[in-house]
Amino acid sequence: MIKANDVSLIYQDGTKALRNVNLDIKPGELVYITGPSGSGKTSLLKLIMGMEYPTTGNIRVLGNSFKKNNTGKIRKIRKRIGPVFQEFKLIEGRTAFENVMIGMRFLGIKPKQMKQRAHESLEKVGLGHKKLSKVENLSWGESQRVAIARAVARKPALILADEPTGNLDYDNAINILQLLKSFIEKDTSIIITTHATHLIKDEQNATFIQVNKGEITVDRRGKSYEKLSV
Amino acid sequence: MKSFLYNIGYFIKETGRIIRLNLLSNVFSIIGTGLILIILGIVIVGTDIGNRLVVMLNEEAEISGYFSDSVDEEAKETVVERIGKIQGVTSVRLVSETEAQDRMKDILGDEAKILELFDENPFEAFVEIRIDMEAIDNILDDVASMIEIEYVRDNRAVLDNIKDITNTLKLFGYLMITAVGITTIIILSHMIRQGIYNNKEQINTLRLLGSPSGFIGLPYILSGILLTFLGGMLATVSIVSLINVAYEGIAGTIPFMPLPPRTDLIEKMMIILPSISLSLGFIGSLFGLSSIRERA
Ligand SMILES: Nc1ncnc2c1ncn2[C@@H]1O[C@H](COP(=O)(O)OP(=O)(O)O)[C@@H](O)[C@H]1O
Ligand SMILES: [Mg+2]
Repeated sequence: MIKANDVSLIYQDGTKALRNVNLDIKPGELVYITGPSGSGKTSLLKLIMGMEYPTTGNIRVLGNSFKKNNTGKIRKIRKRIGPVFQEFKLIEGRTAFENVMIGMRFLGIKPKQMKQRAHESLEKVGLGHKKLSKVENLSWGESQRVAIARAVARKPALILADEPTGNLDYDNAINILQLLKSFIEKDTSIIITTHATHLIKDEQNATFIQVNKGEITVDRRGKSYEKLSV
Repeated sequence: MKSFLYNIGYFIKETGRIIRLNLLSNVFSIIGTGLILIILGIVIVGTDIGNRLVVMLNEEAEISGYFSDSVDEEAKETVVERIGKIQGVTSVRLVSETEAQDRMKDILGDEAKILELFDENPFEAFVEIRIDMEAIDNILDDVASMIEIEYVRDNRAVLDNIKDITNTLKLFGYLMITAVGITTIIILSHMIRQGIYNNKEQINTLRLLGSPSGFIGLPYILSGILLTFLGGMLATVSIVSLINVAYEGIAGTIPFMPLPPRTDLIEKMMIILPSISLSLGFIGSLFGLSSIRERA
């Protein structure tokens, strides 16, 4: 799904966000990216979404590598990703339902099917009763669920969730992680970043990528422990 | 392509939303475009009337040949025959002295009494030659070179004047079309850029979700086309009423003015103005869109 070879990312202002990243994420894998604030978790997701390009090394996502200026290729990869941004990026002035719809509109899905998927995914995240509310009138937690519904309604091969537990208390954080995990399928991987390691310490079948000052350590729990870079 | 068909309702809604988002400036841009197109319409109507005059004068193009003294009736007949054979002459007729005098009587009307002061008919017989305007130079040369003809009178000067005016109007028309085009495109692309700027977060989100630029841009193109089209409709309605008012006014005061048929003119305006506005809308939107096109 994702293969990174010796990837580094240096921002234009000279900030070294990631160094020597080597990764191999398989279909159906649940991946947690942990690390303190500012360590480079979001930067890693940005590389996966083609929002940034590796300064050195290369990264392949869903069988394609992002080429700068090849917008066609970038779109093709992005269409198969369901992102849940840290700040959600919902479109204001529209209902929850329309926000979920808009994520599917350019995927070539028939209108009836789009509507059905939008209803289903909003029900699934527990927002069946708020479908027709404008997103600016929703609470933080509700907005997050709309963002998740928008991502999963696309039936993506890869779900990315950036700090979904950020503002939540323990119970709600656990619930949202449970919700996200419920979308894992044979061909669908999920990558979740969080700085709250205590929430996932009991997790059994997951891959942990620990980011520390731009360097990563990969821990495949239950499988072999691989130290790729320190 | 499928995505476009599946989302027609969405595009229409988005278009409405984009226009409503900046309603006041959009209304002004409709009025602005409308006014510019009205001026363009007036120039086109003016050119049309000028053309019509030229065509009519061309059809009526007529020269008169006056005989030298001492040409007898028989010789006059042969001259008429010879002139009739010149290429470009559509008809030729001998106007006798009496007929010439009768014509003048008609023209003078009540004042015809003045002609009674003459003992003899002061008018001369002449040949009235209707011609194809294209061939006027050759015909003039040929006729003037005949010994029996003393001099030739033509209305070319008048015709040339009107042609000049019409050509100037035409040139002015082209300038107008260019000016209207550029102005509308600038107004419009500015409106669209503004719209894109106001929606930049939404556009960015759509990009991150993998939306093609065409999908993002279509509502902007549609709103641009709609805005200029409404301006075009405004102009069309105004010009049509203007034509109606003007024709009624002219019919009352100068009944013999050779105007093009009113319905022709109206029909022409109803085709030209909306299509110009549609094309300008399309081009202007594309210009405006160039700001979002090639990014992922
Ligand atoms: N666009 C950017 N330009 C420059 N520096 C950036 C940019 N985005 C993030 N950074 C820096 O890169 C480092 C990693 O940031 P980030 O990936 O957002 O960390 P995290 O998500 O783990 O909190 C930080 O030092 C941050 O300040
Ligand atoms: Mg972050």
